[in-house]
Amino acid sequence: MTATLTGVDVAPPVASAKRRRRAPGWLAVVPLLVFTAIAFGVPAVAMLDGAFSVKNQATGASSYSTENLTTSLHGAYLTALLGSVKLSAVSAGLGALLGLPLAQVVVTSRFRALREAILTASGVLANFGGVPLAFAFVATLGNAGVLTIHLGLKDTGWDLYSFWGLVIVYLYFLIPLMVLTITPALDGLRSQWREAAQNNGATAVQYWRHIALPVLLPSLLGGLVLLFGSAFAAYATAAAMVGSSVPLVTLQIADAISGNVLVGQENVALALSLDMVLVAGLVMAVYLPLQRRSARWLA
Amino acid sequence: MSQSRTAVLTGSLAVVAALALSACGAAPDNASTTADGKNAATATSAADLGGMDALVKAAKKEGTLHAIALPRDWANYGALIDGFTKKYGIKIQVENPDGSSQDEINAVTSRKGQDRAPDVLDLGSSFALSAAQQGLLAPYKVASYADIPSGQKDTQARWYNDYGGYISIGCDAKRVKTCPTTFADLLKPQYKGQVALNGNPTKSGSAFGGVYAAALANGGSFDDIQPGLDFFAKLKKNGNYTPVESTPATVEKGETPISIDWDYLNAGYADEFKSKGVDWKVSVPSDGQFSQYYSQAINKDAPHPAAARLWQEYLYSTEGQNLWLGGYARPALMTSMEKAGTLDKTAAAKLPKVSGTPSFPTEAQQSKAKTVIAQGWAKAVSG
Amino acid sequence: MARLNPWRWVVLGLAALYFLVPLAASVVFTVDVPGQGVTFDAYSQIVSTDGFVSSLLLSLELALATIAIVLLLMVPAMVALRLGAPRLRPVVEVICQLPLVVPPIAFVAGISTVLKWGPEYLSRTPLFETFVAIQNPGFPFVLVMAYVVMALPFVHRSLDAGLRAIDVRTLVEAARSCGASWPQALVRTVLPNLRGALLNAAFLTLALVLGEFTVAQLLGFQPFAVWIYSVGGSQAQLSVAVSVLSLLVTWALLLALAGVGGRTRTASSRG
Repeated sequence: MTATLTGVDVAPPVASAKRRRRAPGWLAVVPLLVFTAIAFGVPAVAMLDGAFSVKNQATGASSYSTENLTTSLHGAYLTALLGSVKLSAVSAGLGALLGLPLAQVVVTSRFRALREAILTASGVLANFGGVPLAFAFVATLGNAGVLTIHLGLKDTGWDLYSFWGLVIVYLYFLIPLMVLTITPALDGLRSQWREAAQNNGATAVQYWRHIALPVLLPSLLGGLVLLFGSAFAAYATAAAMVGSSVPLVTLQIADAISGNVLVGQENVALALSLDMVLVAGLVMAVYLPLQRRSARWLA
Repeated sequence: MSQSRTAVLTGSLAVVAALALSACGAAPDNASTTADGKNAATATSAADLGGMDALVKAAKKEGTLHAIALPRDWANYGALIDGFTKKYGIKIQVENPDGSSQDEINAVTSRKGQDRAPDVLDLGSSFALSAAQQGLLAPYKVASYADIPSGQKDTQARWYNDYGGYISIGCDAKRVKTCPTTFADLLKPQYKGQVALNGNPTKSGSAFGGVYAAALANGGSFDDIQPGLDFFAKLKKNGNYTPVESTPATVEKGETPISIDWDYLNAGYADEFKSKGVDWKVSVPSDGQFSQYYSQAINKDAPHPAAARLWQEYLYSTEGQNLWLGGYARPALMTSMEKAGTLDKTAAAKLPKVSGTPSFPTEAQQSKAKTVIAQGWAKAVSG
Repeated sequence: MARLNPWRWVVLGLAALYFLVPLAASVVFTVDVPGQGVTFDAYSQIVSTDGFVSSLLLSLELALATIAIVLLLMVPAMVALRLGAPRLRPVVEVICQLPLVVPPIAFVAGISTVLKWGPEYLSRTPLFETFVAIQNPGFPFVLVMAYVVMALPFVHRSLDAGLRAIDVRTLVEAARSCGASWPQALVRTVLPNLRGALLNAAFLTLALVLGEFTVAQLLGFQPFAVWIYSVGGSQAQLSVAVSVLSLLVTWALLLALAGVGGRTRTASSRG
């Protein structure tokens, strides 16, 4: 016994640290896991539980069934779901199409300041969604907006509160998002490839078609998919602009959470939420491998 | 490493536990009692608490009132709020002034037992019905309860009409060349993108009234609100309907140059915005006359039950009813006050002209109409 | 590159038109009152308007709390993952990507269902008061919890990029061999090298919380974005003025950040 005691006393600090049992590294991850389980896991379980529960009006007893899911895929809800998908697809496509040239201009610019300004602006605008954006566009292109009045847009039948009006508003944060997503990929396009192509007699179009686009494709697709997810999940912008009168699934869910005339509608809201999660999940399932692939190419 | 790391972890766990435990406890019992131990939360009339003075004393002790969805310029609520505070010194906190009737019900259900729940509600009549059905309202008879016409109060005194008006068409003559005066007019192509409702009929009492009025104008009845939905579907298809919900701001800026709304609101806008370059005209459409009263109710789990009941007494006093009249609304006690001579005659003369006597849909008719709207509105306006 | 020049100017010109015109029009909207000409009332009234200061302060408090909690949770976790426990890395990565799969509206649907359990089932248990406390309108902790979850993907991406750029293992080993304890090694060698990533993560979280509307509105609280919306019903010019100002302030903050911190800019999205 004494021997061990002296052993401990005499050993130098570093060695004793090594001899002391190391707490496993994963202990530092535990708080994160616990927090996420409570703050995210519990609502997620509640959502799953509610989406599959049906309350019998007469007896008040709850049972599990897929009735909510089926309701959520019919009638007005289906219209809303399809409306959301259509809006997201169109605005994502346009956003990707318009964001790419802008990103290209930024990347090939000689002026450092221009690149900085546009990239920081993109960072801000990609976050500038929701209420302020809606109000800004209402002030610009609404029924009594500045442009509407001064350019006489009312006579041309322009209506901000329509499908295309929403697309124009959504592009305001989707194009910057595309710029931010695709710039690293464009940065990775080595100028040597361009020079090599030119040396071999390729025109700009041929360069893009045979070299640049194939390399960029995973990143492009990834960006497209990210834009789709972002537009699909948008709620605040539409809510602040059109209230709940336009068929979008996010607005339907918000309505149903706020209770509706028919009791038990909250569970259909949860079923709709589950539908959204599935769509978003599909989006992510496509995006992540694409992103990894493009990262490999451009590393 | 292990010691300091475990120390940090245990420390943080302890902090979290302390925080959680400090916010622990079962729901408190609602106990706002007077000196004699009478409970304001279950009082069904002022007499239950020992008379008006006892009620005033209990209310003053509570000190605040939580109201919800009461814009200051809605039927002169601003003057009512100020009048109440001046008379009794009780502060009124209004949350979500632009909220709809459904938002009020949600606030009650989602904040049951919390101190920030609303005390009093002012609901569209079909919403008052469903709130009563859900057991959210407390029965209470104000002093002038007997004077409220029998068709305008709940049999169990859980809600009763406070003020009402007719659905009207408001229009900015500065922005619209010829203002429409009937529902049929609204379909004309010159009003593209200009016709708005005050909200979403599945949530808002005034929008619900607008659809009902449209139904009456197009061959429907209290039993049949579908023609109203069809009317709005047609309006949307024409491009005349704009989904912007009309508020004082949209009226002022010209975002909603034509608004289907209560006559008292439209009349109020006419006054309010005369100096802002808006010439707001009001007309009750002759083809679709729909009148509805809003209903006053008390939250059963009100955090300030005595103040809530005192607010009811104030609203149904002569002063309160006349203030509503000043806001161009028709107070529920109008007929009895006219008989008693306590009605403010100058204000009464300013009310928009209507012909005939109003009739109201029954509970059953309203529930049916609500269901039809809930199922059909989104489809009708998504065109 | 001379061939590109006219094309470049066209693209930039169109982009400038599309992005700047709504902002300019908003400003015009706020100063032009029909019948009264140009007034700056909308701006001068901002600070004195009922609710502006309280909602802005609430948002800032929520943002600070969120940033503190998310960094406290994520930094030790990610550093530990870099130093060991390789099997947990994909787990944490999946967990941090999950919030992206659940749109805010679906998330708040789940949260409000859970919060309803309070009055419905738990009113006789001690947990009831906890449910009430996290919904305290003065400082709704439930919002902080939700925001931390929503910030996880961006913070993870930011910290991951930052950690990848430095050799954590060597740094820590070097510090340890100089006699530093674990906390000291972390704080004095790793964290300063992560400054750019930390600032980036903090800023993204700040932007997220300041602009967050969906969860706050549907749970019935009134931080900044919800206040802008509710004021919009009665004072359109004021709310547009505040919107424009908040955008400009955010822009200024981000430019300052780009100057001060690193240049790891990660994309984040919010609708």
